[in-house]
Amino acid sequence: MSRTSAILAAAVVFGLAAPAFADTIRVGVTISTTGPAASLGVPQRNSIALLPKEIAGQQVTYTVLDDGADSTRAVANMRKLIEEEKADIIIGTSTTPASLAMINVAAETKVPMISLSASASIIQPMDATKRWVFKVPQNDNLMADAIAGHMAASGVKTVGFIGFNDAYGDGWAKEFTRAAAEKNITIVANERFARADTSVTGQVLKLVAAKPDAVLIAGSGTPAALPQKTLHERAYAGKYYQTHGVANNDFLRVGGKDVEGTILPAGPILVSAQLPDSNPIKAKALEYVKAYEAANGAGSVATFGAHAYDAAILLTAAVPGALAKGKPGSAEFRAALRDSMEAQKNVVMTHGIANMTAEDHNGFDSRARVMVTIEGGAWKLLP
Amino acid sequence: MTRPGLAKLWPLACIALAGLVPWIPGMPAFWVTLLNYTGIAAIVAIGLVVLTGIGGMTSFGQATLLGLGAYTTAIMSKYYDLSPWLGLPAGLLVTAAGATLIGAVTVRLSGHYLALGTIAWSVGLYYTFANLDLVGRNDGISGIPPLEVAGYRLLDARMSFTVIWLGVLLAALATMNLLDSRAGRAIRALKGGAVAAASFGVDTARTRLLAFVYSAVLAGFAGWLYVHMQRSVNPTPFGFYQSIQYLLMAVIGGAAHIPGALLGAALVTLVNDRLQDILPKLFGARGNYESIVFGMLLIAVLQWAPDGLWPLIARFRPRRRAIQADAPRLAAQTMPERGSTLLEVVRLRRNFGGLVAVNDIDFTLKAGEILGLIGPNGAGKSTTFNLITGVDTPSGGIVRFRGGDLTGRPARHVAAQGIARTFQHVKLVPTMSVIENVAIGAHLRGHASPLAGLLRLDRAEDARLYAEAARQLARVGLADAADRPATSLALGQQRIVEIARALCLDPVLLLLDEPAAGLRHNEKAELSTLLRRLRDEGVTILLVEHDMEFVMGLVDRLVVMDFGTKLADGPPDAVRADPRVIEAYLGSVE
Amino acid sequence: MDLSIFLILVQDGVVNGAIYALLALSLVLVFAVTRVILVAQGEFVAFGGLTYAALATGQTPGAIWLLGGLGLAAFAGGLWQERRRMRGGALLRHALFTLALPAAIIAATLVLAPRRAGIVVEVLLAVAIVTPMAPYLYRIAFQPLGNASVLTLLITAVALHLALTGLGLVFFGPEGFRAPPFSDAMILAGPLMIPGQAIWILGLTLALMLGLYAFFEKTLTGKALRATAVNRLGARLVGIPTAQAGVLAFGLAGFIGALSGVLIVPLTTVYYDGGFMIGLRGFTAAIIGGLGSYPGAVLAALLVGVAESFSSFWASAFKEVIVFTAIIPVLLWRSLRHGNGEDEE
Repeated sequence: MSRTSAILAAAVVFGLAAPAFADTIRVGVTISTTGPAASLGVPQRNSIALLPKEIAGQQVTYTVLDDGADSTRAVANMRKLIEEEKADIIIGTSTTPASLAMINVAAETKVPMISLSASASIIQPMDATKRWVFKVPQNDNLMADAIAGHMAASGVKTVGFIGFNDAYGDGWAKEFTRAAAEKNITIVANERFARADTSVTGQVLKLVAAKPDAVLIAGSGTPAALPQKTLHERAYAGKYYQTHGVANNDFLRVGGKDVEGTILPAGPILVSAQLPDSNPIKAKALEYVKAYEAANGAGSVATFGAHAYDAAILLTAAVPGALAKGKPGSAEFRAALRDSMEAQKNVVMTHGIANMTAEDHNGFDSRARVMVTIEGGAWKLLP
Repeated sequence: MTRPGLAKLWPLACIALAGLVPWIPGMPAFWVTLLNYTGIAAIVAIGLVVLTGIGGMTSFGQATLLGLGAYTTAIMSKYYDLSPWLGLPAGLLVTAAGATLIGAVTVRLSGHYLALGTIAWSVGLYYTFANLDLVGRNDGISGIPPLEVAGYRLLDARMSFTVIWLGVLLAALATMNLLDSRAGRAIRALKGGAVAAASFGVDTARTRLLAFVYSAVLAGFAGWLYVHMQRSVNPTPFGFYQSIQYLLMAVIGGAAHIPGALLGAALVTLVNDRLQDILPKLFGARGNYESIVFGMLLIAVLQWAPDGLWPLIARFRPRRRAIQADAPRLAAQTMPERGSTLLEVVRLRRNFGGLVAVNDIDFTLKAGEILGLIGPNGAGKSTTFNLITGVDTPSGGIVRFRGGDLTGRPARHVAAQGIARTFQHVKLVPTMSVIENVAIGAHLRGHASPLAGLLRLDRAEDARLYAEAARQLARVGLADAADRPATSLALGQQRIVEIARALCLDPVLLLLDEPAAGLRHNEKAELSTLLRRLRDEGVTILLVEHDMEFVMGLVDRLVVMDFGTKLADGPPDAVRADPRVIEAYLGSVE
Repeated sequence: MDLSIFLILVQDGVVNGAIYALLALSLVLVFAVTRVILVAQGEFVAFGGLTYAALATGQTPGAIWLLGGLGLAAFAGGLWQERRRMRGGALLRHALFTLALPAAIIAATLVLAPRRAGIVVEVLLAVAIVTPMAPYLYRIAFQPLGNASVLTLLITAVALHLALTGLGLVFFGPEGFRAPPFSDAMILAGPLMIPGQAIWILGLTLALMLGLYAFFEKTLTGKALRATAVNRLGARLVGIPTAQAGVLAFGLAGFIGALSGVLIVPLTTVYYDGGFMIGLRGFTAAIIGGLGSYPGAVLAALLVGVAESFSSFWASAFKEVIVFTAIIPVLLWRSLRHGNGEDEE
């Protein structure tokens, strides 16, 4: 075979792909299963396998694409899911900048989307574009308020902040600065580090020199352990706070004894077994944890994956109402789905209880976060 | 009139036909979206063809330059409510200005320093974007308006397609024009060796900067298209990884070819998309294998086609150039009065560490004579040439030409004085035809700016340059070879091409480094005749040569060197009789 | 800033710089011998670190299967590339190197890993698992490219990096790992607290450098490698095959990478994709040092490490901006001193 004809043949093979359509609800998912946000994206992808294959008598299919936390790919994926897979709804993506890039497409194509990322700026302030966007993780301001509240109650007056040099750390710096000001807490040092940094000694020296009552570390997953370990080495004696970004067992494994006593806000699912039975979230959360660990091994569960599960809970709740107004695959159905999600009240999810309104497309209240500490290498619910 | 041949037009025809693609009935909407991404990437890759494939400068920063254009128009249209169409000139201007600033420092770097330099400033700029409130830090800016034509918002992918591919067409045309112009030949000459280019008056630093800024402007243009299609912007698409993607698109397609850029962009975009569909079907949805398979495919393709895919599809065949023989002749130098002192070399010296390669050499050259510089291997002849022509800097001594001091002046300044040369190791550009190589010699006799070349305003002048090149080629007897790839000639003939190129400079003084090496007997005779005729026309010639028979019959005077010092100086017969020469040199001649 | 902070920052910079120096050395070596800018160098660091972390916690590292796969691929690739030439003894040697060696390492790991055989064995095992990957990759990806341009080799190295990062995610997962330090000792010297691990890093770096020096100066193989670096054609004429020199250079690069990974994983968290940024610093140092000078690379690496540590103290958000823009003047100076940059390729 000549090289030219080989090229042509390759072109033909690559060209062959035409999905057939049946009468089902198509869910398009784009998440960051590779790249810098893979520690969020991987458990999310694993959770997609646990989602219901049938809602209100309708078949549901899921198409999962990886965007590598790159906003160009996230938007391209979204277009692919809508134009090629005819998705009725989009779930994703794992990071804030990429989610922000996607919201234009949602509004323009009139396909609702449920974001899995942290920042409130994805759904606030509400406008004609963000009407199409919902978000299941707790808003970062809810979590920041919780930390500031806990600090104020424990007599913390000064705080040193160190966060990722990316959207996550930046978002936290902004929200926490606001929350701290409301509680008259002063931020005496504001540092950044990169996820893959091998040393944060410089930043830690700066923090220690500022002598804060407490340090808040805003990072996600295992990288957030490094500043805390370095602070320990430098014998920093104040309180340690982390964010809900670290809520997986890998953090405990890497942090070891250096992260004992750390305080953080988290979705109730992190300590689901310790929740009182009266809490309706408990059953939902345990259901997810059980299903996830059955599929991926004991101790593998991470709270980030549960956001994908929550997205499906919201979808499941909204579908019956939408089916009355249109068939899946139609513009009417998608619009109705949006309307129906916006009308949902008291939806119990693994991370909280959502009450959607036209103004609030997250719908969580203080029930969606608990304060947790680390004790004996395990998460412990604080009263 | 030089008319682009069919071979050059058909890619353009393909692009024009491609304009109809999105309107094909049944064309999946997402394919149009993919083609849009392809188009944007192709524009950046075309810039890399000029910069990397042709200019030989590897850049790891193109995506960041794209960011400069993107952020400029994003800020203007989002925060100041200006029309996106205003963002285009502004974006291009900011990118060009930024690139000039960055380039002024970086393109002075050589080789790997340059590559690392591009990484350095692109990492720097990336984190600056990410920490700058003006551009929305890491979250960036969203809700940017789309392009509008007569009040109609180009939201539909098919509308964007038209704009983007019109842009690709423009970029490809402009680049073809540029490369075919005086400035473009200078860029292409960089690959044949900066020394050769500089010896014909090309300002290599400025030419490198030009290639850099041009590629940056294309990237900025792509950034403008990107923003108004994406309608949001944040730092992630402008990082190191994306820059690498553009580079590998160019390389996989064939870094030295414009169609290669299109091919590479299309292939990388398409393969990445298809892998997302195919791999989960093969391996299940439990892992992500796209980057693994993509990397392996890339390695396989590069082993199969190390120079990229385009050269496999279309072998390099320079196009036939129609020469406008009646074009007005270029202005010519007035030759100095025969017999007047033309070149004076006084106590010229060059040390390499402890080694003295040229040791206080003195000689003078009268206008209209042929002077032979001979000596055994390693005598310092070529070094002397390099010292005179500004390729190398003397450690001491003086070079005076027509009364002016030339010592240590850069090569292009020397060339501007009317001194042309050939090289011992032939320095022709392999990717150019014979006549294109020769036309480089006439660089200083044209004045068209790069912009004029881009817009095709330089055709009259370029026709004159090519007419001159054709004339010189005919003069050395290689008119038939004009349209052949330069390196397809025998080595001896390539030396003759170098002479034609030197003659294109309209030289007062011609320095020839072993011109007869590799020539057959009758070819040597022809060369002798040519050189004598040149002398009769008033050209002064200094030549280094090993072939004694050739030298003795040709030169008026000889200077003999050995171990960097001058042994003898005088008419051939007198030198031949000099006992010191016989002892040191002629005794050992091959 | 007081003196104690200054000293701590210098100490931090030097320890990081030592690792960059090791990587810079192997990048210089690989480039000199094969003209490949080994973008994927960082992956060997990550794989080495992650493999050791798994062994040090009593787990069987997934990397052994990667080793086996690469060995198999190198076997097949070598067979295909030299299908006309490879016979008898050569074939046997090829099979021993690409099949028997990984099989032996895999077997040893399966036996030793669950038994917790002690730090020394685990370190050796981690290095043994990762080191051969590099020459296998050379056989698969670079050897067939013989005389390709530096640009093509560079893009091949980029492709390799993409594939290896993807494999890293599959084999090690997205989260980071850490291993217990070689020793818990902490040396107090004035304001400095020098962890034992830092001493290990500095000591082994120094030992490795001396070892490399001895290797290049005293042994025949080392001299042959140097000869290849100076003149590929000449080396071939005197009977040193370039391919073998390439395999050897990559082997050293894999070894240095793996060892660097093992050294840092007790001190910091290592991620599947974390090697790239470490490698980039090594690359930076290698180039500042002149891509040919070993002492120059080491000095530059220490400089990069210290610059990084100080800029993270002064303006951590702009650390990369500071470090990377600060090297431009250095590059400019080197470039001007180096000459006019005539005729690459």
